[in-house]
Amino acid sequence: MFKELNPILHSELRLGVMSILISVESADFTYIRKQTGTTAGNLSVQIEKLKEAGYIDVTKSFKGKMPCTTCKITQQGIEAFQQYIDALQSYLHPEQHKKEE
Amino acid sequence: MEDSRMQDKTLNEKESLALIAQMIQNTQKRFERGTGANMLVWGYATVFATFSVWLALRLTGNPNWNFLWFLIPLIGYPYILFQSRQPKLVKTYIDKVIKYIWMVVGITGFFLSAATIFNFMWAFPILFVVILMMGMGSMLTGLVTEFKPSVIGSFAGMLIGFVNYLVPDYDIKMLTFALAFICIDVIPGHILNYRAKKRCSKS
Repeated sequence: MFKELNPILHSELRLGVMSILISVESADFTYIRKQTGTTAGNLSVQIEKLKEAGYIDVTKSFKGKMPCTTCKITQQGIEAFQQYIDALQSYLHPEQHKKEE
Repeated sequence: MEDSRMQDKTLNEKESLALIAQMIQNTQKRFERGTGANMLVWGYATVFATFSVWLALRLTGNPNWNFLWFLIPLIGYPYILFQSRQPKLVKTYIDKVIKYIWMVVGITGFFLSAATIFNFMWAFPILFVVILMMGMGSMLTGLVTEFKPSVIGSFAGMLIGFVNYLVPDYDIKMLTFALAFICIDVIPGHILNYRAKKRCSKS
């Protein structure tokens, strides 16, 4: 049986953000924007959606005089990401997944 | 030409997995300019302090010149403070491990050195112990980050440390101490900076 793909993560930009955050402790907004190559406005909207879902924490602060927005994945986000990968694998390797069940 | 900008669109399963792999790989391959600066600051500070203490003691014979060892934290810690105020774009788990390694090594090293300088532990082979501690810290950092020059340099530095312990001559002790830090910090620091500069100009 195919597992349902989480619609919050099943979008290119949000998945890109989550993939970056899953492999680091925290990342700055500028870094994420550079890695995803998207616009600041679009990224802000997607980050807000991930935050509302409880998948990431967003902290706004200052480093010296520079404003700094730091994103960090939450435990809920890690679990959702793991479930998403699991669901993806059920599509790509359905037989293997059936055996495990 | 294909647009590489990510958008709010859905992907198929294969594209999703490819995207995840690519993003994780990009983050792990991160190399920043000036990454070796930390090693260079501490390395050169140690070499400079060693020669200052050696020269001052040779010229005057006054043991109070041993307080010049504090030049190392006086140069190193303001740099750490300055660095911590710089905006850091991404913090990986490896950064966190390295931070804790150096926190433990740095604090222990500082208190041991201070206790020796203030004569609480006068017979303690502090130069040898400091070389071993810093060598271990640097080797662990090199192993965690898979940076071979640090691993090799630390190993060489720690071998020099044994010479430092076994040879009783004061001049050779001071010379081997500086030499150990050239191997542990200075040479790997320059190699790291050179590699980071090369990678950054390519990208």
